[in-house]
Amino acid sequence: MNSAVQHAAAAGLPASGSSPAGRAAGAGRRGRRDPRAVRWGWFLWPTVAVSFVLLVLPQLGFVWMSLHADLGLGQTGDVVTLANYREILSDPFYLRSIWITLYLSVATVVVVVLVGLPTAYALARMSPLPASILLGLILTTSLITVVIKLLGLNIILGSSGMVNAALLGLGIASAPLQLVNNEAGVLIGLVQYTLPLFVMLLFSVIQTIPRSLEEAAEIHGATRLSIFLRVILPLAKAGILAGSLITLNMSMGAFTSAILLGGGRVHTMPVLIQQKIVQSSEYGIGAALSTVLLVFVFLLNLAVGAWAGRSGGRARR
Amino acid sequence: MTGRIRWSSVVAAATILFLLGPFVVILGASFDTGDNYHVQFPPRGFTLAWFGQISPKYVQAAWTSLVVGLAVAVLAGVIGTAAALGIVRSRIGGKEAFQAFFRLPVQIPLVVTGAVFLQFYYYVSALTGLDLLRGLAGLILAHLFIALPYCVGSVSSVLVRMNPSLEEAAQSLGATHWSTFRRVTLPAIRPGVAAGMFYAFIVSFGDVPVAIFLAAGDAATLPVRIFQDMQFDFQPSMLAVSSLIVIVSAALILAVQRFAGLDMVLPGGRR
Repeated sequence: MNSAVQHAAAAGLPASGSSPAGRAAGAGRRGRRDPRAVRWGWFLWPTVAVSFVLLVLPQLGFVWMSLHADLGLGQTGDVVTLANYREILSDPFYLRSIWITLYLSVATVVVVVLVGLPTAYALARMSPLPASILLGLILTTSLITVVIKLLGLNIILGSSGMVNAALLGLGIASAPLQLVNNEAGVLIGLVQYTLPLFVMLLFSVIQTIPRSLEEAAEIHGATRLSIFLRVILPLAKAGILAGSLITLNMSMGAFTSAILLGGGRVHTMPVLIQQKIVQSSEYGIGAALSTVLLVFVFLLNLAVGAWAGRSGGRARR
Repeated sequence: MTGRIRWSSVVAAATILFLLGPFVVILGASFDTGDNYHVQFPPRGFTLAWFGQISPKYVQAAWTSLVVGLAVAVLAGVIGTAAALGIVRSRIGGKEAFQAFFRLPVQIPLVVTGAVFLQFYYYVSALTGLDLLRGLAGLILAHLFIALPYCVGSVSSVLVRMNPSLEEAAQSLGATHWSTFRRVTLPAIRPGVAAGMFYAFIVSFGDVPVAIFLAAGDAATLPVRIFQDMQFDFQPSMLAVSSLIVIVSAALILAVQRFAGLDMVLPGGRR
């Protein structure tokens, strides 16, 4: 789906959330409690209640269901058991699905960083007007529903599409390349889905790096490459990490791209979850697969967060 | 610097081409005089015929998407603003935990959210007889769940920057809490609320993975309809519908960017 920008909020990126400094100042100003003061805390509780009802209850119910044997046809057994998890973690089909999900997501991150970083750099060092026009275009592409992008990609990448026509016409390929309905297609779809957000995020990071640093390095004889590697890269490291994590999260959970460009043949975990629950009514297995994916994504986030926290003390902007 | 072409600019050009390509192809094909089953680019001729052939089910789906999106935007705007006020203004402990709690829905894969809500509605229906899967209420609730974090985030980011002395001035001049809120606070945070609501609408309008569980058959949203037809039943007028979505979305984004600014929902904030 079009959750491009939405994941920005996920990582608690610079723009969102409150700054500790601002809050400290506010608290200091209102040091003594005025009995007539507004009880702002009360505003919090309705939303907490709504979130609780919508988040915690359904999730718990779902995990609870995953702990019951799957009897097919939407039925689950009465006894609490780990059978579904045992099946997922021992059946090669499910293990392969976990593996495909992981490696396609990691491949997406690699491609997005390799392509997105130079793009963001070029935009950040452009004069303001063209940069803002191009960023506006990128923003627009990120906000339009992903289904439409995938429809367009399908046309471009199909066996009679423009890419194959160009490759055949130029004599680069002798037969049409298979670029959709396989893992290559899914990878291209995932890049299309995640790239805009990464570029916008890294743009805002690189923009804060003063150009004078690059000029200073250049005066001292650094080449373009070494400026990029030794000035830009270290300063943008935290942003690259945050962007990579968002890209990874989006890719692991990507459903629409995986189905439409994988042609139903690439069984990533989101694809399987939907198939199990909607098409074959295997609720127990579907719920267990969802829980595995969820735990997997959370653990990955925790691991990257811990790793960044340990190595990133001075890399933070 | 030197005049030679930077390779980063080349990559940037390729990126823009890659990101815009699908839209260009769809726009071109939807005006094409060909049969549209075999899309050609560049188009052979210009016609508006496909737009006249848009099937009624797409029109119905568009209404569904619009109603759901607007409902989600309004609800997320109200609840999200309340939560942001609570987080930023209250002196409650553990604010970080609250913020993390409100952000949680974004980290849950959307397919999981869809499956979880489907199951939840089955339970609710079994326990109370209230069938949330009939009608749009269930879908609106689920979309509210995934959209709320953005509203909380964008309103918070404006509230934090707001100068509290404005409100103190209003109060010391005798304004009530309510009129202070309505005439001072609300106008000041309006850009954040607007951006959050717009984003909530976009999240709802573009969603497939959640809606595919909760809105089947006649209640399908527009992206779900297109998604299903792409898989099972390619229709030429699909391109015309998509093309309309692109044009309307782009115009809407331009307008919002111009009048409210989308900086709040953008990562890092654009200046």
